[in-house]
Amino acid sequence: MTLTLQPVRVATGAEEEGMLVFDRDQRLLAVLVHLSPENPVAPGHWFLEAGFDRLDGLNHPTFADLDAAKRWILGHGGPTKEG
Amino acid sequence: MLPAPFPANHSPIIRKLESIFPLTDDERQALLELPIQVTAIKEDQDVVREGDRPSRSFAILSGMTCTSKVMGDGKRQIVAFGVPGDMPDIQSLHLKVLDISVTTLTPCSLGFITHEALWDLCLRSPRIAAAFWRETLVEGAAFREWILNVGRREAYPRMAHILCELLVRLHAVGLAEDHSCDLPITQVEFADALGITAVHVNRVFQQMRADGLIETRGTRLIVPDWERLKEVGDFDETYLHLLTTGGAAA
Repeated sequence: MTLTLQPVRVATGAEEEGMLVFDRDQRLLAVLVHLSPENPVAPGHWFLEAGFDRLDGLNHPTFADLDAAKRWILGHGGPTKEG
Repeated sequence: MLPAPFPANHSPIIRKLESIFPLTDDERQALLELPIQVTAIKEDQDVVREGDRPSRSFAILSGMTCTSKVMGDGKRQIVAFGVPGDMPDIQSLHLKVLDISVTTLTPCSLGFITHEALWDLCLRSPRIAAAFWRETLVEGAAFREWILNVGRREAYPRMAHILCELLVRLHAVGLAEDHSCDLPITQVEFADALGITAVHVNRVFQQMRADGLIETRGTRLIVPDWERLKEVGDFDETYLHLLTTGGAAA
């Protein structure tokens, strides 16, 4: 995968532990936020807080883990895969 | 003042109509004589679906429903919540093919009335026909308010507005007191109604609780400061055209 992750704190007013997702050209594609284990909607999941370019829009899914988030980002108009 | 008690099956329908239209004793009696088939339905069941051609309409006698439209990929937009007394598919009396789906949010008791019986009543009593007409007009006014709410208000006031509306509508049929009511709507359902994610709904509720705007106990909603919630939600109940708040009928 060509995506790189960088931890970040996000001022959501709730959970703050997040991850910036960059493509291989170091362009910011998405901001993910780690929901707390007590979150009633999707406990412990990663939430697409913001997406850019083709990830921008009404769709804000949650993912069981970071690998699932990366797969979704690559499958939804993220950068072309290496090789 | 609450209306006099009616037989349980008809009471919510009459209460709802009387909240927006003054009924005479004769008209109340004619409504009481409507043949109603009462059916209990579990939660999360479609009562009617988009594309259906119903030969009857139903009134909610107890419980709550949502009216929604569904996109090709299955995502839905809830366009209204139904409370006791509402007749969410009354338009099928005139519009033969339904353009909405109605789903139970909780276990519901629904009273089905054939279109034949409704037509017969409307032809015998033009004023009752006018009351149903007024009901659908008020419903239209609520849809317009929802477009404004979903299209223009930020998530926090958007939620405040919908809570205000639900409290006022439940109060109008005797199901809310002291700015408190049972509100068994899940965060996912609020998300589908407000056009935001369930994660955001959860954050908004947390923030509202922290701000002292609402209290929740199980499915019970308590609003400690009604004026403040109205202010936050930019809520003016004129669009609900209730007689008790000066929504004059013809």
